Amino acid sequence: MGHRAGVGDEALDRGVNESSWPTSPHAARRLIMRALPGASAMDLAADEASLRGRADEPPILSSPSVIEGTTLRAIRVAPPRGARLSSEFLGFLDGAQNVRVVNHRDGIPIVWAIVSAAIRVRRNRRLIAWEKREPLVSRRYYIPIRYVENIDPQFRNDHRVVDTGETDSAGKFPSRHPAALLERAIQKVRDDREDLEQILADAWCGEESSPLYIDGSIAGCARASESALAIGVVKTHRTLYAEGSAFRTVMNLGSGERSSVFTVAHRGRPTVASWYVRIRSAEGRDALFGLVRVETALSDDAISRADEISRWVIAEGSPLSLPDGRWDKMSYGVHETEEFLRAIS
Amino acid sequence: MSDLLGRVVATERRPNTPHEFHFWTALDSPVGIGTIVRVDGSNPVNGQIPRVYGIVVEGFSYTDLQSPMHDVLGHDGSPETAGFAVTERAEIRLYSAAVLRQLPDEPLQPVPMGEVFLAAEDDVAVALRMDGYLKEGARTGIPIGVYRAGGTDSTIYLDADFLLGPEAAHLNISGMSGLATKTSAIEWLLASVFAHFPEEKGSIAAVCFNVKGPDLCFLDQPGRLDERDIELYDKMQVSSRPFDKVRYFAPYTAKGFALNTLRSNEELLYNVTPLTWGLREVLSYAEVLLNRDDIDAKADALIDFISERVVDRVFEKDTYLSRDHTVQSFADLEDWFRDLLRGLERSNADSWRTHHIATIRKVRNRLINISQRCAGLVTDTGHLSDLPFGKFEDRTIYVVDVATLEEDAQDLIFARVVSKLREHLERRDLGVKNLIVFVDELNKYAPSDGQDTYVRKMLLDIAERGRYLGLVLFSAQQFRSQVHRRVVGNSGTSLFGRMDADELATPGYSVLSPATRTKLATLEKGQLMVRHPHFTQPIFIRFPRPAVMMGREGVEQFPQAVEGGIDVAVYRSLRPLDHSVTLQWVQKFVALYDEEEILKARDATTRSRPSNVKAFFEAQFKKIIPPEPAIAAASTHEETRAIRSLPIDDPYGF
Repeated sequence: MGHRAGVGDEALDRGVNESSWPTSPHAARRLIMRALPGASAMDLAADEASLRGRADEPPILSSPSVIEGTTLRAIRVAPPRGARLSSEFLGFLDGAQNVRVVNHRDGIPIVWAIVSAAIRVRRNRRLIAWEKREPLVSRRYYIPIRYVENIDPQFRNDHRVVDTGETDSAGKFPSRHPAALLERAIQKVRDDREDLEQILADAWCGEESSPLYIDGSIAGCARASESALAIGVVKTHRTLYAEGSAFRTVMNLGSGERSSVFTVAHRGRPTVASWYVRIRSAEGRDALFGLVRVETALSDDAISRADEISRWVIAEGSPLSLPDGRWDKMSYGVHETEEFLRAIS
Repeated sequence: MSDLLGRVVATERRPNTPHEFHFWTALDSPVGIGTIVRVDGSNPVNGQIPRVYGIVVEGFSYTDLQSPMHDVLGHDGSPETAGFAVTERAEIRLYSAAVLRQLPDEPLQPVPMGEVFLAAEDDVAVALRMDGYLKEGARTGIPIGVYRAGGTDSTIYLDADFLLGPEAAHLNISGMSGLATKTSAIEWLLASVFAHFPEEKGSIAAVCFNVKGPDLCFLDQPGRLDERDIELYDKMQVSSRPFDKVRYFAPYTAKGFALNTLRSNEELLYNVTPLTWGLREVLSYAEVLLNRDDIDAKADALIDFISERVVDRVFEKDTYLSRDHTVQSFADLEDWFRDLLRGLERSNADSWRTHHIATIRKVRNRLINISQRCAGLVTDTGHLSDLPFGKFEDRTIYVVDVATLEEDAQDLIFARVVSKLREHLERRDLGVKNLIVFVDELNKYAPSDGQDTYVRKMLLDIAERGRYLGLVLFSAQQFRSQVHRRVVGNSGTSLFGRMDADELATPGYSVLSPATRTKLATLEKGQLMVRHPHFTQPIFIRFPRPAVMMGREGVEQFPQAVEGGIDVAVYRSLRPLDHSVTLQWVQKFVALYDEEEILKARDATTRSRPSNVKAFFEAQFKKIIPPEPAIAAASTHEETRAIRSLPIDDPYGF
C-alpha cells in the first residue's frame, strides 16, 4: 500500500504536556533529552530522514504473466477525453508516515515517527470519515537499544519504543553505521504503517460491500488480496511489468486505455491480478505520466471486471489532486485522505 | 440547549482577539451574516467557564484548490464536464464573528477555542445586554423587531431610557427611497412605543411632519397585514390596529378655499384642522424666511422695532403718519408702511426715527412678501389656527402636513412648531411629558454642507439638548453621510434599511465589514440593521408592516378633493362640524357676501367649533336687510296704461 514519507511536518501541536507522550517532534525531542542523558538535539528543520527513506528499491523491468490473451495489448475502456464516467468506489484507504531524527546519542540516530492510516468514504459526492473504524495513529520512537547506553528503563520498556537494533531475518544485528540504522528505522516505520493499513483494509472487506480504493498494492494484505472489494492502485513503477514487446505497449497506452490483465506474484505474498491504465494523456510528458497499475484479487471474474474497474479509476482522476506532485496518477479521494491524515496526525 | 453549530478556530495568521473570533461550520449550517452565536469555552477562567456571544460579520468559503488553473486543467477547459466529477472537493465554511459580550466580563481575554452554538432566545437577550432592561419591575424595553436565524425567533428590544431619554435619545433612520423602509419603520416603531412606553415614565405623544406625498396622511386608517405580520404584532404585543388618536394640521391653498393636503377627502376631514398664522406668529420667526442679505443690522433693528412697538398696539400718528394705526395683520402692516412712506415722501424726508427710508422700503418689501410666499399659511387677517399647544394628549399623533407647501412655508412651520413645542416642554405645560418629533428628508433640513439655516440650528439644538426636555427627534433621510454630523451623531439609536452602494462607500460605513455592507445593500423590505447603545455590534431585524394604510393606497381609496369654488370649500369645511350643512345653504351666503367675509366666517367657525355651526357661521356676517317691496302708489289712468305689446313673431322682442 502507498505512503507519502514526510507528510505533516508542519502544524505541530505546541501545547503538549511534558508528562504525556509526545505528539510532536519538538515534544519528542524534549522527552529524549530527559530519558537519555547526553543525547544531543537535532535541528528539526532538516528533513533528513524522509529524504533518505525514499531511495529504497532500484528500478527494474519484469516480464508480465499475461492471463488475458497471450500477449500484452492495449484495450480502450473509455474515450480519450471528456468522458462522463461514474465510479463505484465508496471508500479510499491511505496511510502516512512522518519520520524525524529528533536526537543523536554518540552518533546513533534517535528516530521518532507518526504513522497513520484512514479510510474516507464518499457520501453525496463528499468525503467523510468512515464511521465504522476510526483513523489509526501511532506515535513511536525507533531506537537501536543495544547501541544506546544509560537509557531510562521506564522509557525503554514503553511499548511505544521500538527496538531497531534487533537481529534481522538472517539473524544479523544491524551495523552501527548511522545510515544503516536510519534505514532500519525507516523500514520499521514502513512496516508499522502497512500494519495499520492492513487493519483497516481487513475491516473494510469484512464490514462493507462496496469497493475500496487502496493507495498502493494490495498484495501485502492477505484478506484484501483475496477480496473483490479491494482495488489497489499503484502509482510508482519501480518494478515495471513490461519487459520485451510489452514495454512498447505499456509505454504507448493512450488516455482511456488499459493493458491486458496479468498476474503479479510477490515473494511470500498472494498472487494478484493486475493491469496498467493510462488515466491521463502523456502527450508531451514523460512515458509514465498518468500511468497507474491496478491490482485486484485473482478471481474468475478479474478479467471481466477489468474494463469496469479501469473506468472507475479513470473517473477518480477528477477533480485533480493538485498541488500534489503526483497529481497525474493520484485520485482525489486518496489526496483528500492524505490531507485528512496530515490534519489528525 | 441549541445544537452544535461549529468550532472556533484560530491560526497564527488569523488569530482570535477579545473582539473577534473565527469558527467553521458544516456546509449546510443555518449561519449567515448577522447570525448571533454563542461560544462555550472549555477551560475555566477564575473558576468560570467562559461564554462568548458574537455576531457573524464575515464569511469565507474555499476548497483545497490552490489555483483556479488546476480546476481548468482538471476538466480539460470544459465547464460541461466539471459537474460530473465523482467527488466534490473538500470545502470549508469559515466565519468571522464580532464579539457582542463575554461572560465573565473580566478578565477580557481573546476568545477561547470552543464549541459554537446558535444563540437561543435567552442567549440573544444576554448577548445584546437586553437582560438589563427586561427585568420584571424595571422593564423599559421597546420592541423594535424580531431577530431570526436558524429557527430562533427572538424579539429585539430597545431601551426606552436610551431611545427616548434621559440616558440617550433620538433615532435616525437611513435607507433608499421607495423601499418601504423609513416611513414604515417609524410608523411601526411609534405603535410599539405607544404600546410599551413604561407608564411610570409619563405620557408621550408624537408630532410628525409629513414632508412628502401622502406618507403619513392615513395613520388612522387600517392597512393590509398578512398572517406573518399579525404573528409579529402578537409576538411583540403591539396592537395590529391603526392609531386611535391622530390629528392632522394643514394650511390652506394659496386661494384659501381648500386645505393644502392630500388628506382632503371629505370622509377624512373630521380630524383635519387648518393651520393658519397671523402677523404676530410670523414676525417672531421672520429670520427663518429672510436670508442674510435681507436682514442686515439696520433691517434687523427695524423689524425689532415693528415687532415691539407697532404690532398689537395703537401706534399714534406722528409727523409722517397721517393717522393712528393698530397693526394686527399683514393688511394692517401694509397700511402702516404705506402711510409712513407717503408721509416721508411728502416731507421729502429720508429717515424716520433713525431708520432710513431705503431700509423701511426693504423691510416692507420683505415682510409683506412673506404673506404672499406663504399664502394659505399666513393670513392677512391675522387669524390663528394652531396645534393644541398645552393640550397635547397622551398616545396621540399630531401630523403637520407640509408636503405640498413651498420651501419657505415648510421652514416657517417647522421652526415655529418646534420652537413652541420646546417652549412648552421647558415650562412642562405641553400636555404630555415626552414628545417625539419625526422629521423626514433630513438631507434637506440638516445638510452637512451649505449655509447655516434656522431650521438646521433648531434640529441641532433638539439633537443636542432635546433629551433633557423630553423632546426626542426621530429623523430619516436617504443619505446619512450628507446629514450634519452632530444630528446623526447625537442619535443614540440608528436604523438602516437597504442602502445605496455609493452611500456605503462613504467613510461613515467603514466600521462595517464588507459582508455587512453587502447585506445592507441587499436588505429586503421589512428588514433593518439596528445600532443601539446597548448593542456592541449592529443587529439585523425584521419588523412587520405598519398597521396603517400606506400613502399610495390611501390616495387611491380616498382621492384628494378637487379645489372647487368658494361655496364648495366652505361646505367641505363646515360639513364635518355639522352634517346638516348643505351646499345650497352655503351658496345662499356666497350670493350675498364677498369672498373675504365668507372665508373669515369659515375660519372663525372651524376655529371655534361651536355647537350650533349654522348659527355661529351666520352670525359672522353683517346683517343685510333684504329690500322690502315698494308700496305701489295710486296711479292715474295714463300712468297705468299698458305698454304696447310686441307682435308674437318679432325676433327681437325678448
